[in-house]
Order: sequence, then structure tokens, then C-alpha cells
Amino acid sequence: MAHHNIIIPTKDKLFNLGEFSLRRPGNLVTAVILAVGLIITVIRFTQGIGSVTNLSDVQPWGMWIGFDLLCGVCLAAGGYFTTVGCYVMGMKHFHSAVRPAVTTAFLGYAFVVIALLYDLGHPLRLPYMFFFPGTTSVLFEVGLCVATYLTVLFVEFSIAPMEWLAGKFPFLLNWRKLVIRCTIILTIFGVTLSTLHQSSLGALYLIAPGKVHPLWYSPFMPMFFFVSSMAAGASMVIFEGMFAHKGVHHYMDATHLREADEIVFSFSKAASFILFAYFMIKFTDMLVQANLPYLVSGYGLWWLVEMLFFILMPALLYAKGSRERNLKLCRFAAANTVLGIVLNRFNVSMIAFNYALPSAERYFPSIWEICISVFVVTMVVTAYRFIVYHMPVLYEHPDFKDAH
Amino acid sequence: MNRRKFLSILGSAGVVSALSTAREAKAGGTHSFPYYEGSYGVLHDTTRCIGCRQCEAACNQVNNLPKPQKSFDDLSVCATRRRTSAREWTVVNKYVVHGKPVFRKLQCFHCNDPACAAACFAKCFQKQPDGSVAYDGTQCVGCRYCMIACPFYMPGFQYDDAFDPLVMKCTFCAPRMKEGKLPGCIEACPMDALTFGKRSDLIKVARSRMRKSPGKYVDYIYGEWDAGGTAWITLAPASGTATAASANPAHDLHPLDLDTHLGNRPIGELTYGALGAVPMIVAFWPVLFGGAYAISKRRDAIHEAEKEAVAREVKNDISYVVNTAANKVAETHGPAAADTVRQAASDALKVCERPLRS
Amino acid sequence: MRNGTTLLLLAAVAMLSAACLTTREALAAPAQEVVDYNVSPTRIIFPVGEKPNSAGVGMRPTVFNHLVHEKKIDNCLSCHHTGETKACTTCHTMEGKAEGNFITLTKAMHTPVVAKRPKGEPTPQSCVSCHQQQLAQRECAGCHSIVSVAHATRKTSYCAPCHNMTPSITKAQMQQGSAGVLPDKDKVALAAETMSAQKSVSHLTPEDGPYKVYIGEIADKFESNLFAHRRHVESIMEKLKDNKLAQAFHTQPETLCATCHHNAPLSATPPKCGSCHKSTIDPNQPERTSLKAAYHLQCMSCHRAMQVARPIDTSCVTCHKPRAPQRTD
Repeated sequence: MAHHNIIIPTKDKLFNLGEFSLRRPGNLVTAVILAVGLIITVIRFTQGIGSVTNLSDVQPWGMWIGFDLLCGVCLAAGGYFTTVGCYVMGMKHFHSAVRPAVTTAFLGYAFVVIALLYDLGHPLRLPYMFFFPGTTSVLFEVGLCVATYLTVLFVEFSIAPMEWLAGKFPFLLNWRKLVIRCTIILTIFGVTLSTLHQSSLGALYLIAPGKVHPLWYSPFMPMFFFVSSMAAGASMVIFEGMFAHKGVHHYMDATHLREADEIVFSFSKAASFILFAYFMIKFTDMLVQANLPYLVSGYGLWWLVEMLFFILMPALLYAKGSRERNLKLCRFAAANTVLGIVLNRFNVSMIAFNYALPSAERYFPSIWEICISVFVVTMVVTAYRFIVYHMPVLYEHPDFKDAH
Repeated sequence: MNRRKFLSILGSAGVVSALSTAREAKAGGTHSFPYYEGSYGVLHDTTRCIGCRQCEAACNQVNNLPKPQKSFDDLSVCATRRRTSAREWTVVNKYVVHGKPVFRKLQCFHCNDPACAAACFAKCFQKQPDGSVAYDGTQCVGCRYCMIACPFYMPGFQYDDAFDPLVMKCTFCAPRMKEGKLPGCIEACPMDALTFGKRSDLIKVARSRMRKSPGKYVDYIYGEWDAGGTAWITLAPASGTATAASANPAHDLHPLDLDTHLGNRPIGELTYGALGAVPMIVAFWPVLFGGAYAISKRRDAIHEAEKEAVAREVKNDISYVVNTAANKVAETHGPAAADTVRQAASDALKVCERPLRS
Repeated sequence: MRNGTTLLLLAAVAMLSAACLTTREALAAPAQEVVDYNVSPTRIIFPVGEKPNSAGVGMRPTVFNHLVHEKKIDNCLSCHHTGETKACTTCHTMEGKAEGNFITLTKAMHTPVVAKRPKGEPTPQSCVSCHQQQLAQRECAGCHSIVSVAHATRKTSYCAPCHNMTPSITKAQMQQGSAGVLPDKDKVALAAETMSAQKSVSHLTPEDGPYKVYIGEIADKFESNLFAHRRHVESIMEKLKDNKLAQAFHTQPETLCATCHHNAPLSATPPKCGSCHKSTIDPNQPERTSLKAAYHLQCMSCHRAMQVARPIDTSCVTCHKPRAPQRTD
């Protein structure tokens, strides 16, 4: 295949950092955000959480949990979704999507953990949960699964850096072979762990029945979170692909480009089904829990907005898009879904949380909290760019043709 | 070691472990109540409370909490709706119920089976035999999930401390109780609006007060069963006509911010269903996805075999056609011409085979 | 008049009687006629039952002074709720009858709260419910917010003031009374004997108690409190001087003392508060308040119920002189 226009690092020239020093608006914005983020980081870790956040005793979890953790984990679901589709279900034409998906999943989880350190009062004590395991805690399960899954993702992802560095450090070849041999085990392990912690993120809020609005609170919240994470995974692959095609198109090889559209349509079809299912279980749950009277309140309206415009609408758009093979429509539906999932997580964790409290005691994130969240996203993007510039993620390395 | 010996050892080990778990289950308590016989509690009789804030002052003093901006003599602060925080482990709020002021002291309720303890992933919270819910800050990670979990909005967090921020809440003055003293607030209360005693006795005291003064109290001991029961229980005054109040206690309790919708099971139990599914998923998912993998592999294999069979057939057909044609040519034009035909046919096949293969 | 409740009560009574006069003239007319007694102002309420009372036993009958009660009540319908001037036992017997909606005599007389009847029908009173309502008066409310005379907490001494039939009643008379066939002349004689046997109690006087009491056992932040014992007793007795209900039910010389000096046998020299109430709560006896709280609860409940404006609950210095901060030499 034609690789002539992709810059592949070689044994002698391992690094390809030129892209970052180009005078482009993207790089400039990145630099500014990273600088601001670093300053806030210093303030956060020297002056305390209270100095940069609007968190209070009634709202102990705000933007950093609602967005960075809940959305971060959910939107990184593309990793397990793609690997299961490709390796377990045998959809070989997804193959070129696996590496980008695993890469973003790994980055997503890694930065979820980093973002979590901002929110913890004692970030250095994070490992205490293994020393004093509170086994009755949902958070313990989340922590254990995320830690394990992050390791699994790291192993899965490690093929790419190994291929990059193999020229310089040939011993990595053996490791690479081992990892490839374990692919299917890692995939199944990954999907098990993902099921557990994706659903457990919903289960976190099961303990607060009086605080989450009845329209969002349900004993089936774990299921909602898991099902929606599948839709989010599929949508994120499409959504990321959209940006990748804009930003790093020149690092994609012909196979990737050839398969890209087909992947979008397949994922759209899958996401459409999942979103319909998600809509149905949420709707049924509302009826079963006799929450119909709540629909005529302000929160009820808001719930309907979420249900109709951020679940049902993307489901229909996906169905139409994949049927008519309309790439633009599918991408729009993907963005719509991603927004919807973020909205749902915001609703559960912030907007419909503490709904009964007077508005004066309610929470709105401070500008600095938002800055840190933007900072984390920017770090993910930057790390992604670094990886794409150096490692065979969007292209096949000429030395490792057997990989696919 | 022979096989039989091995099996018998294995069997006895299984029986022993089964027995030991059974005993553990009995001692550790199936979730029924009370968890600790003879544990202490406090009965807060809001009809007695006069809102003097002596309990707040005492709490502040015995726990060495930072001095507040407004002195404890300033009783006007009761009128604003306050909650407990890292600096104030107890607050007295004034509620106006049907035109009459009612004061209620807020502090950790010291649940029988606390939601914070169920939520903590580093085991910082423990229900103690003396009735208190103890918090150990030395292993606190600062995740604040306990604050999400607490149905009473009690724990506070030291958001302003950069290096050792901890969750803060009423300790039931457990250190003082160990010395044989009463909790600070109880000692300070001039009205015995806080009555200290064994929780089981306090329930009886509460009932007898209701019996002795009919119509004075709401017929509901808040905390007797709420959220699985709490060590601190509250009596609220009945408002208005006795008949209307007794119909629905929530009617009189909600104006005091006492949530009667928490149910009578420990809040933590709400998550046990989800947690219980974990081993099931761990056990079942690999089988499910392993099976799916096997099916897809088998499908691929069948597909591959079919493809090969078709290819073989096509090859046979082609060679039959070529041979028949060559034989015919040999008959008419002689063997040399037949060879040329064979050669041309195989060349042509080679050209078209390549795209077939890839 | 600063007593709003009384004003309200008066207004309600006035309106009720007005309503009675205008709409229920038919009922009001015979009710007024009853004032003409040809027998005696008293009635005897027997435990009338369907079953033959061959042994002649049962709850002691009550001598009911109809005249005294009638004067206090503006509307006969309060008791004669059917509108007919029949005896209670006509419909309410010990076992209950269909005419009385199967409400037994015991319940009809003693139920502390009578369920409100639907609009248009008068809600009847039982003896207890009506007496209970009288306790809301300011002069009663002080003590009776602390000492409840509710039916549920009654002791045997609680029954005696009403179930006061003379012991000389014969079994035969009791039998006849239970069957509702005791001749009027016997009734008159029994009632007269009972009434004459009743002696008015001579209550302890304010002078029998101390003039002032020092309360200083737990003085810590404040100086000892000087409690004007005599003034308090005087004021209460003055208020109850003309109260017939109080006279009838405060049957012991020390009854008035028992609100504060509770739980101990009645005596002119009750034990000190501190002999039961300790300075802190004993966790093994949580129902027993601490000494400080015991004082505060008594004082404040009474003052609150009697609508004594002073002192404000949270104003310590009204009653206690602050003690000068202790010097550390």
C-alpha cells in the first residue's frame, strides 16, 4: 500500500514533533489552554479544592465527576465496543477502527484517573482502596474495575508504541507477539470489566434516592448507564473519526480510508438499535415507576427534551443515515448522541441532583472547574496527536503487515 | 497422596469453610435490627427545644472547632436554614409550623446501618457498639461519596484545606463517652430536649411521652425505622387538629425537614442488588462472549471451507473444459496445437486468478 | 382583654346560641322547659345494661348534678345530641344498642375526643371530652399542660370524683338501677345521701409552703435562683377561687402541689427535687430528666401554657443573675 506521504518514524529519527510547532490556530489554542490549566492545577493543589470550585457540602460531586469521570468513562466505551465487534463477533471490516478506538479508550481512561486526582481530597491515597477495601461500596467496584481495565487497555494499546519503538529496542517484538496472541482473552476481559464499571457508574447514584429526581432515579440506573455507554462507544468512534479526518487525515493509510465509511455505516446501524432499546427501557421504566405525573413539571419537560431530542432523534437519524448511506447525517447523529449522553450524565449528577433543594443552595460549576475539564480534554487531544504522529494507529506499519 | 485422600481433604476443607461462613453470617448479623443490643442513642424532643444554641456552643467547645463569626448568644441565626458542615457539627434550625416556632437540632443521626459506611470505599466509617458512627480520617481518600450517600445531608468537607482535607461530622462525642462522660450537647441542653440513653429504652420513653400527652406529638418516632433506624431519634409536635395530623405524619414532619420517604431499610441496601450482580457478570460474561467468539470463528471456518469447495469445483470445471477443448483441438489440428491451447488457457487463468486470491 | 382564646370562645358560643335560636327553635323550646325540676337537680347515672344484674354489682353509679352543668352550657344539644330530652342510658347501655349506634355507655361518657359529625349534625360531647376542653382555659392550662388528665392515663383515683355513689346503696337498688327501674323516690334519697356525704376539701394555703426557695444546687454560670414559691401558689389559688370544676376535681388538700411536686405521695412536705433529679441524665433512666431540665420544663411549660409573656425562654438573665467570671488567683 501507499505509505509514501505518511511520515513514519524510523530507527534513527524516532520523534516527529514538528506538527506541534507549526504556527496553526489549533496549536496556539492548545498552548494557551495547557498554560492556564497548569496554573489552575498549581492553585488547586496548594490552596485546596474550595479555592477553585463551587463544590459545597450539599453538592460534593460537581463538574469534575459529572463530566470528567462519568462522561469520560462513558465516551471511552468505544474501546470495548469496537474490539468486541471486531474480534468476538468477527466483523473483520472493523479492523482499521480497532486501534484508534483502543487508543482513545486508553487515553480516555488514563485522563479520567488524572482528572480524578483533582477531585480527590487526598489524591495520593487513591491506592488506599486496595489496602482497606470497602467491599460494600459501589465506588470500590468502579475503582477496581477502572484500575484493572486501564491495565487491560494499556496492554491492548501497547502494540502501537511497541511497533513504533521496535526498530530501536528489538526485544519488544517478543512482547508484541505475546500481546497479539492474547488479543481475544484481553478483549473478553475488557468487555466484562467495562460492563461492570459502566453500569456501576449508574449504580453510584442508587444510594441517593432522595436526591436524584424520580424521573432519573431508577433501580435500573446501572442498566441505563451500560446501555447508553454502548451507544456512546459507537458514536464516539464516528465522532472522533470525523475530527481525525479533519486533523490527521494525512496519517491515514488507504485501508483505513477505504474502510472508514463502511465503519461509520455499520456503527450507525448498531447505535440506532441500541438507542432505540435505550429509549424503550427508559420510557418503560418511567411508566413502571408511575412517574407519569412528574412529566407535567419543569423537570418533566427537561426529561422529555432529553428523551426526544437526545435519544429518540439520534436513533432515527442514525437509522435514516445508515439506510441511505448518508455520511453527513450519520456524523450529525453521532454528535447528537454524544451530546445526549453528556446531557444525561449532567442531569443525573448535577441538574436533577438535589432537585428538592432551594435554588440558592444549588450548584453551578465555577469557571475554573470548567477550565480544568477543558484542560483535561485538551491533554487527551494532545496526547492523541502525539500518538498518531508517532505510532501506527491510523496506518499499518510496513514492518508489521501481519498485524491485520 | 492418592486420589481418594486428596478428595477427602478437599471435601473436609469445603465443609469447614461452609461451616465457618455460616457461623460468620450468624454473628456478623443478617441484616435485621437492632445491630448492637444496648447501643446508645439520643431522643430529641423538638417540643422541648427552645433554640438556645447551648448545644452548638458545647459542641464547638468540646470538639475544638473553629470559633464562628457570630457568637452562640446570637439566636437570630436559627431563623436562616442552616446545615451541618465541617465547622459546625450540629446546628439548631427554627421552623415555623402553622405559625408556631419549632426548633430542631441537626447532627449526624448515627444510623444503625449507615449509608456513609456502605458507600465508603476505604472503610473509614464504622458503626460502633456504643451506637456512634465513627469516621477514621487517616485512611480517607477524600472522594466525598459518603456525602452523596448520606440521606440526611450531614457530613461536611474541609474544602479549604489543601493538604489534609477531611470529612467532618458529629462523632457522638465517642471519646467523651469512653471517659464515661455524656456528649457535649446533651450535657449542655437546659431543657433535656436531648435525652441520652439506650436506644431501646428511648423508643419506650418516646412512646410513653406520646401516651402521657395525647395530641401533643406526631404519632411517629422519626428514626425508629427511617433509613433502617437511627441512633438519634426525633419527636415532633403535632400541629393543628389531632385528627388531621394523625392521618399523615409526613404532613407535620416535612415542615421540619424530616424526610419520611427514606423507607425502613438501610439506604446502603439499595446498591446491594447492583453489587450482587458483579460475580454473576464476572462468571457469565466470559462464557457468553467466549461462546460468541467460538460461533463467529466456526462461521468463518465454514465460510472459508465453502469458499474453497466452490473454488475447487470451478477449477475442476475449468480444467475439464480446457481438457475437452484441447482434446478436440488435438483431434483436428494435432497435438502441438493442443499444447498451445493448454498453455494459453493456463496463462489466462494465472492472470485472472490473482485478483481472485487477494 | 388580652386573652384571645376566651374572646374567640365567647364569640363561638354566641354564634352557636344564635344559630340554635334561629334554626332549631323546635329543639330549643322543650330544652328550656326542662329547667322546671319537679324531682331534684341531680340525676343518677346507672350502668344500665340488657343483661340481668342478679348479683347487683357493677361500676359505682354517678350522681350527676344536672343543674350545675346546665347553667354552664348554652346548648342542650351538646349532650342531648339527638334533640330529644331523654336519659343517656336510653340509647347508650353497657352493651350498646342499635338506637345508640352501638356506642356503649362507657364510651359515650368517657371518650376524650368525639369524632366530628357531618355538617348540619351537632357533634355531641362526652363528659370527659367537655371537661378536657375546659382545661384549655388559661387558669387550668398551666398545670394541665404538664399533668394530663386524659382518659388514657387515668388512675383509680381519677374515677372517684364522679363515680361517687354512697356505699349504703343496696344490692337490690343496684339491680333495679341497672335494669332502669329504680323508683324515683329511692333515687332522690340516694342522691341526697351522696351529696350530703361529700365534704368540701380544705386545700393547703400558700402560707403552708415556704415563702421563697433558693435553687442553687447546680449554680455554675449563674447565681442561686430565688423562687417566689408563695407568690406562685397564691396566684394560682386566686385564679381557681370560683372554679367549680376545679373544686369538684381537686379532691385532695395537696392536689394543687402535685403538678410540680409530682410522682411522690401527696404531702405537705414533699421531697426535694434533687432527691430524684440528678445534675446529669442517668443513661439507665433516660425518662428521668436532669435537675436543670426538670426546673426549666416545669417553669416554662406552665408559663407558656398560661401565656405569661415573661420571661422569654432563652433569656437566662431574667431569672438568673449571671455569676461574675471566676477569678483564677
